[in-house]
Amino acid sequence: MMELICAKCGIPLEKQKTAFQYLGYEIYEDLPRCPKCGQVYLDEKLVRGRMHEAEVEVEDK
Amino acid sequence: MAELLHRTRSLCPICLKPLEAELRQRESGEVLLEKTCPAHGSFSVPVWRGRIDFAAWTAGAQRLGPGEGLHCPDGCGICAEHGRGTCCALLEVTRRCNLFCRFCFARGGEAEEEPSLEHLKASVDDILRQCGTPLLQLSGGEPSLRDDLPELVAYARERGCPAVQLNTNGLRLAGDPDYVHRLAEAGLTIVFLQFDGVTDEVYRTLRGRDLMDVKLRAIESCGRERIGVTLVPTVVRGVNDKMLGEIIRLGASLSPAVRGVHFQPVSYFGRYPNAPKDDMRYTLDELIDDICRQTGLPIDCFRPSCCDHPLCGFHVSALAEPCCCNAAPAPAEPCCGIVPLPPAPPAPRKGQSAAEENRNYVIRHWRRSPSSEEAPTSPSAKDGQDLDAFLRLVRTRSFTLTAMAFQDAWNLDIERLHSCSLHVYSEGKVKPFCANYLTSAQEESEAPVLPQ
Repeated sequence: MMELICAKCGIPLEKQKTAFQYLGYEIYEDLPRCPKCGQVYLDEKLVRGRMHEAEVEVEDK
Repeated sequence: MAELLHRTRSLCPICLKPLEAELRQRESGEVLLEKTCPAHGSFSVPVWRGRIDFAAWTAGAQRLGPGEGLHCPDGCGICAEHGRGTCCALLEVTRRCNLFCRFCFARGGEAEEEPSLEHLKASVDDILRQCGTPLLQLSGGEPSLRDDLPELVAYARERGCPAVQLNTNGLRLAGDPDYVHRLAEAGLTIVFLQFDGVTDEVYRTLRGRDLMDVKLRAIESCGRERIGVTLVPTVVRGVNDKMLGEIIRLGASLSPAVRGVHFQPVSYFGRYPNAPKDDMRYTLDELIDDICRQTGLPIDCFRPSCCDHPLCGFHVSALAEPCCCNAAPAPAEPCCGIVPLPPAPPAPRKGQSAAEENRNYVIRHWRRSPSSEEAPTSPSAKDGQDLDAFLRLVRTRSFTLTAMAFQDAWNLDIERLHSCSLHVYSEGKVKPFCANYLTSAQEESEAPVLPQ
């Protein structure tokens, strides 16, 4: 994976276990994250793919 | 004097002549459908008991425009005026049946010439031509009496049906595992299993014989072949309306083989034991309220259908896992075995897209996931876990509560019919379910009467 730089802090992102909360559910994923400010990078493939699937599964029709 | 809520159209239950009709609400909250036939007099039938706010529940209803619905259901085949596409297309594959039920919309068991496999394949082609790619429900009679059913299932899947559903009493599935295997190999996706209760007494009353063991063996057989099972109770007051919670609990305990419960409050068309009296009517709001009382589920997890008319059905999306019973008052049993998912705001939709979304929803929830995508044994979905594990878990434990309230000659509301997405294919025509099976009060019903 190419190196990602935090736009705010100017330092490389590191893969870290990151928690999401959605409609009362807590889900973890290893994601590129700024070690200083905590900003997380979500790539389009993840958002339109598995994350969208999880939303569909826990949301009403 | 009951307050006039709304004008609509209906039929005379005796001569089936189209009539103007009114929905009127009493102070108690009860809503009546009222109509007068010049030849046969006035009729008033309860369609809502007032246990849930009627105006709030029906807010998303699609109203008939001026001049719309004037010809419904005479000469019905879906026309350009119809408000919905086809979510599910029902195809009768036989009139034969191995039961003689007190209630049967299709009057199964009546002798009639059996359609050939080639004729049925041509019907599938015509359904796909007329309806897009609906969920195909094979019905009857008892469709599993046909030995060639796996061939028809395979044909429908090859031709592009995204899922095939079998409407069955489960007798053959329970006793013929090889047949179930052949159906699974052919691509059968969902079994809609007649499942009225958790005791033999209920089956003796409604179906004429003990069937509890048969139902459990049918579920086991489908589970082995990874065909999703939806339990389908016909709910009759005084017979099984006190057993709704137990049906849900049993279904949830059999997840992931059982994917949900689809309640059908009894209606009076086809074969039924007695003409309906007002106190025998079992309305959708009574059903919801009774489920809540018997399970502890909160009433706000029930949503009207986003596709069909709000008076025609509801849905609850849930996961089969303990425990939801934090509601007050405490339910009679310790747990109903399901946790409702947070409901999204109501979003009624119209036309073809509504039917497609509804179809995708029911297929996604009622089928089994491939074994590689199911969670073996895992913690509650509420416990933190990675995204893949979470997806596997919610797919595996998905459990829906749904309902469909069919209409008969007494309570038929053309406005509801106009929004129907459950269509029956018959002799080249595609008709709303309740228009297709409509029978007048004059037609003789040969069913044995219900025991008191």
